[in-house]
Amino acid sequence: MAYPYVSDREVRVLSEHFGDPEARTLEGARKRGRYVALKKALGMGPDEVTEVVKASGLRGRGGAGFPTGLKWSFMPKEPTKPHYLCCNADESEPGTFKDRELLRWDPHLVIEGCLIASHAIRATHCYIYCRGEFFEASSVLARAVEDAYEAGLAGKDILGSGVDIDVTVHVGAGAYICGEETGLMNSLEGGRGQPRVKPPFPAAVGAFGMPTTVNNVETLAAVPGILSNGPDWYRQWGTDKSAGTKLFCVSGHVRKPGNYELPLGFPLMDLIDDVCGGVRDGNALKAVIPGGSSVPILSAEECGACTLCYEGVVAAGSMLGCASVIVMDETTDMVKQVRRMAAFYAHESCGQCTPCREGSAWVTKILKRIEDGRGTEEDLDTLLEVTTQMTGTTICVLSDSVAAPVHSSIQKFRDEYLALIRRGERVGAA
Amino acid sequence: MSAEIPFKNPGWAGNTGEFDLTEEQVRGADFVGRRPLEGGHPAGASSYPYMLEEKAPEAALFEGPHLERFEKILTRYPDKRAALLPALNLAQEVRGHVSPDSMRRVAELLDLPEAYVRGVATFYTMYNKRPVGRYLVQVCTNISCNLCGADEVLDAFLRYTDTELGETSDDGLFTVIEAECLAACGFPTCVQINSRYFENIAPEDVPSVLERLRAEAEGAA
Repeated sequence: MAYPYVSDREVRVLSEHFGDPEARTLEGARKRGRYVALKKALGMGPDEVTEVVKASGLRGRGGAGFPTGLKWSFMPKEPTKPHYLCCNADESEPGTFKDRELLRWDPHLVIEGCLIASHAIRATHCYIYCRGEFFEASSVLARAVEDAYEAGLAGKDILGSGVDIDVTVHVGAGAYICGEETGLMNSLEGGRGQPRVKPPFPAAVGAFGMPTTVNNVETLAAVPGILSNGPDWYRQWGTDKSAGTKLFCVSGHVRKPGNYELPLGFPLMDLIDDVCGGVRDGNALKAVIPGGSSVPILSAEECGACTLCYEGVVAAGSMLGCASVIVMDETTDMVKQVRRMAAFYAHESCGQCTPCREGSAWVTKILKRIEDGRGTEEDLDTLLEVTTQMTGTTICVLSDSVAAPVHSSIQKFRDEYLALIRRGERVGAA
Repeated sequence: MSAEIPFKNPGWAGNTGEFDLTEEQVRGADFVGRRPLEGGHPAGASSYPYMLEEKAPEAALFEGPHLERFEKILTRYPDKRAALLPALNLAQEVRGHVSPDSMRRVAELLDLPEAYVRGVATFYTMYNKRPVGRYLVQVCTNISCNLCGADEVLDAFLRYTDTELGETSDDGLFTVIEAECLAACGFPTCVQINSRYFENIAPEDVPSVLERLRAEAEGAA
C-alpha cells in the first residue's frame, strides 16, 4: 500500500509518484524521467508539439473539456508581442482535490508540462496561478522552480536550445471565481477576479492584453508523457472522444475516499463499489454529483449506466466537469446540502451580473427558509423559475453552477422537499 | 485522524495511519516550524506562511528581507499593478492583517489609487481586514466535508475555544471561522490553521489539536 488508498484497477500515469517524497526533489524527479520530454520538445518546432498533443486527443481537465491541442493552435503563429501561458492551479471547485496533490507530490512534472506548453504557444513567460490557501503546495512548487532555474531548465536558453521561458509562481488570495480563465487573468494583473466578456478570447487579448492560453494543472501534467511516448500511447486508454487517464477525486460517503487515476470511460458504479470500497456502513446510495458541485446531481438509478467520460456523463444527464465524484448515501439531508452548495456560490459570486448576484443570494435564502420548515410549495416553483433565469444569462458560468444542482435536486428529490414543507420531516434528523 | 497517531504528519493528506514519514520529510526541512526571514525564491511571487512580526506602527511596511522580496516580486511582471496581490500577501505576512494603513502604503509603493487597492483587497477573502488571533482556524464546511460532519467539527472548535464564529478568544490565541472548500475533500473534515492543513479531523480530535497549538504558542513565547 502506498498513497492514502490505491486500487489495482488504477492506471497511474500522473499519480505514479504520489506519496513518494523523493520525487519532489529535482534529482529524484530526473531519476524518474522528468525533463526528458522537455528536451525532446525543444528540439521540435512549436507547431509540431501542438500537432502531437492534438493527435493525442487530450482534453482540458479543468472542467470544460476543450481539446488542448486545438486551444494551443489558436495562438498567433508569428509573435509580434509577448505571449503568456497561465497554469490554472486555483483549484477551488467543491469536491476537487487533484491539483494540490500534483503540485505537492510531483511539482517538476507540472513545471515540465508548463515549459513544453509555453514552447508550443511561443510564450516567454508562464505564470502558475496557485490558490492562496495552498501555502504548502506553492512553497514546494516555488522551490522546484528555483531548482529548475539553477539547473538551466527554466529561464534563458533552456538546455542550450536558445528558447527562453520564465516561470513564476503567483499566489492568489482566496476567490473561487479566479479559477475562471478570464477572472484568473484579471486577478493576475492585480485586479478583482471578475470574469471578462468573451470575445475577445484570451488567445487574442489575454493577460496584460497579450495573447494568452490558460490550462489546468492536470492538463499540463499530462503533456510530458504524451510528448515522450507519442499520441497512440495516450490513446490506449479512454474512449474515442475522451482519450487518456484522469484523476478522479472521490469524496463523501464512501469507505475509501481519495484520488484515483483511471482510464476515462470507467463505469461510475465500479468506481464507487470496487475502487472505493462501496458506500460507507453498507448504506444505500442516494445520489452522486459526478463533476464537482456545479453540475447536475444524478440519482442512484441514473448512476447505474453512467460511464465516466465526457460524453458518458452527459448521456446520463450531468457533466464530467473536473471529475470530482461526491457520493451521498441514504442518510443525506438533500435540502441542507443543496442549500450549503448554493450558499457557497452566493458567497463567491463576483457581483458583476444581476442574475448571478441576486439569484444566488435569493436561492440560498429560499432554500434556508425551506430547510427551517417555513417553506411553501410555491417556493419550489419559484426556485425552478429563478434557476432557469440564471442559466446562460451571465458573463461566466458561475450562475449556471448554482442553477444546476438546485434545479436538478428539486426535479429528482421533490418528494423530500415536499415532506419537509408539508410535515417538517427531515432525512437524517435524529 | 485516529487517536493513536496524533499529528505525526500534521496537515498532510496522508495522515491515515498508513504512513511513516515525518513532517520534515513531507514538507522539506525549511517548511517545518518558523520559516527563516530571509526566505524568498528567484521565482519571486510566492507567499509564505503568516508570520507576525513585532513592528512599530510607524515603521515602513517592507524593510530588510521583506523589502528585498518585494523588489524581487516587481521584476516578475510586465507592470507594477500585477504585484498588488503578492504585495498585499507580504503585508499580511508582516502585520498579520491588512489594515487600511497597509493598503495605503501598498498603494504608494505601486503608484495605485488608494481606493483601487481597497477595492481589490476587499474582494479577496484571505486578507484579514482586522486583526485575528495567533491561530486563524478555518473549518471547511462545504459539501464534501459537510457530508462527513463538518458542522460538528466547527461546533467543537467554537466550544473548546469558547468563542463565537469570527470572534477572537480572550487569550488572543484563536479566531475560528468557516471556510469554503479547501481542496482536501477526500480527507474530511479539513481544517486550515494559519498555513497548515489539518485533515481527517473529527470533533473528538479538536481538544488535542488546540492543546498542541497552545503548547506551540507557549514554546515560542
